[in-house]
Amino acid sequence: MSLVAEAFVSQIAVRWAKVNVIISSTDKGMGKSYPQTIAAEPWPENATLYQQLKGEQILLSDNAASLAVQAFLQMCNLPIKVVCRANAEYMSPSGKVPFIHVGNQVVSELGPIVQFVKAKGHSLSDGLDEVQKAEMKAYMELVNNMLLTAELYLQWCDEATVGEITHARYGSPYPWPLNHILAYQKQWEVRRKMKAIGWGKKTLDQVLEDVDQCCQALSQRLGTQPYFFNKQPTELDALVFGHLYTILTTQLTSDELSEKVKNYSNLLAFCRRIEQHYFEDRGKGSSSIRLS
Amino acid sequence: MAAPLELSCWGGGWGLPSVHSESLVVMAYAKFSGAPLKVNVIDNTWRGSRGDVPILTTKDNIVSQPAKILNFLRKQKYNADYELSARQGADTLAYIALLEEKLLPAVLHTFWVENDNYFTVTKPWFASRIPFPLSLILPGRMSKGALNRILLTRGEPPLYHLREVEAQIYRDAKECLNLLSHRLGTSQFFFGDMPSTLDAYVFGFLAPLYKVRFPKVQLQEHLKQLSNLCRFCDDILNSYFRHSLGDG
Repeated sequence: MSLVAEAFVSQIAVRWAKVNVIISSTDKGMGKSYPQTIAAEPWPENATLYQQLKGEQILLSDNAASLAVQAFLQMCNLPIKVVCRANAEYMSPSGKVPFIHVGNQVVSELGPIVQFVKAKGHSLSDGLDEVQKAEMKAYMELVNNMLLTAELYLQWCDEATVGEITHARYGSPYPWPLNHILAYQKQWEVRRKMKAIGWGKKTLDQVLEDVDQCCQALSQRLGTQPYFFNKQPTELDALVFGHLYTILTTQLTSDELSEKVKNYSNLLAFCRRIEQHYFEDRGKGSSSIRLS
Repeated sequence: MAAPLELSCWGGGWGLPSVHSESLVVMAYAKFSGAPLKVNVIDNTWRGSRGDVPILTTKDNIVSQPAKILNFLRKQKYNADYELSARQGADTLAYIALLEEKLLPAVLHTFWVENDNYFTVTKPWFASRIPFPLSLILPGRMSKGALNRILLTRGEPPLYHLREVEAQIYRDAKECLNLLSHRLGTSQFFFGDMPSTLDAYVFGFLAPLYKVRFPKVQLQEHLKQLSNLCRFCDDILNSYFRHSLGDG
């Protein structure tokens, strides 16, 4: 009897240890390797993606990031359900949205999610050689460096946008005075970061010029191909789509940002193509998005 | 005839014309594009400004920051990129973004945050080139600025401790170096036989890491294993900077 009990207890201990390893191994490492247990489990049907409230709260940069992850998962043919929560930012392990909850793992941001999905055996960039992978990573950094930073600048450092849109949206689920406090806190954080990377002194025109340069580079790289690495989409396509589509479809105080993107017809066609192929055709109920 | 172009920047040592990455980028680009630059090295007199270095001064303009200086030089018809295709130009921007996001934090850390390196090499070197009493303040401020930048851009939760951030940024930097090495392959420069803006940036970031003698050298060791990147730096130093090497 005691032997059976011992065996039972040790089984529980082993399983508990495994679960602890799984839950505690959520970090942003790029060279991270996941334990065998992750690879062995198939993608569950109830995988969920968390983001902020779509209609009233979510901001341009977060929406872009969320859309990029959704596009990536669609391209990998992995089902995901989008759930909107007001406190998504605080639930996330790294403080950034979106994050996905798969099995008993929680992973946030596109980079780690790509690694995680790769550990499960799905990858969009396996067919690329080393030089192409280097290029892909470089272009993803370009989008993060220029487009994402420009979006953050516009949202939090441009007085007109901050006053009219950002403050109201960011604090909307919370009662007074929490809504103001949280919005000011976030603004202070973002401004500090902008100053540290040298964007603090930039004017809006210079930022828009940077956006234009970035779009020009993306347009030149894309050329006449359907996707950045010819026939098959990769995580770079998902990221670019997420940002460009959000810029094109979000209503801001002025149209200058979306005008910069509209100058490049192949980028517009690219967004339309991905929207049609991965969002409309699939008939997914989570969000039917329209390119206006 | 172009107006005389003067560049204020930090000086050289260990076989390099400058130990400051951004200054080196501008100097390399000027050599590649044939721009006649008069280099004013910052020394410990009170002459010249030392904030926001490198600074390009012409008769009517003062331009700071490498990207703006390079743009200015291109407008003055000193263009190292005119043989590049549109796609290569796009690749240049992307790789520069990669350098700034993945390699720069680790380079900043090696020079300014790692205590052994900072107190034995970096601080004395910079302090000797800054007049007293600014020499007591400015290196400390530069170090804090570097730490700030690293923590604000990479030190987000769950990486709360500097140690974990360090591990992450060195991992990213090593991967970045590997990617650059793959991209360079066996060619002499990144886009064929003529050096371009990307070569200037890569040289600017890698050469100080390669040449400066530090006590704590993990990134340098990794770089030395990538022989094509080392060959790249040595080639540029020998071909373009042989006559103007400073001493340490």
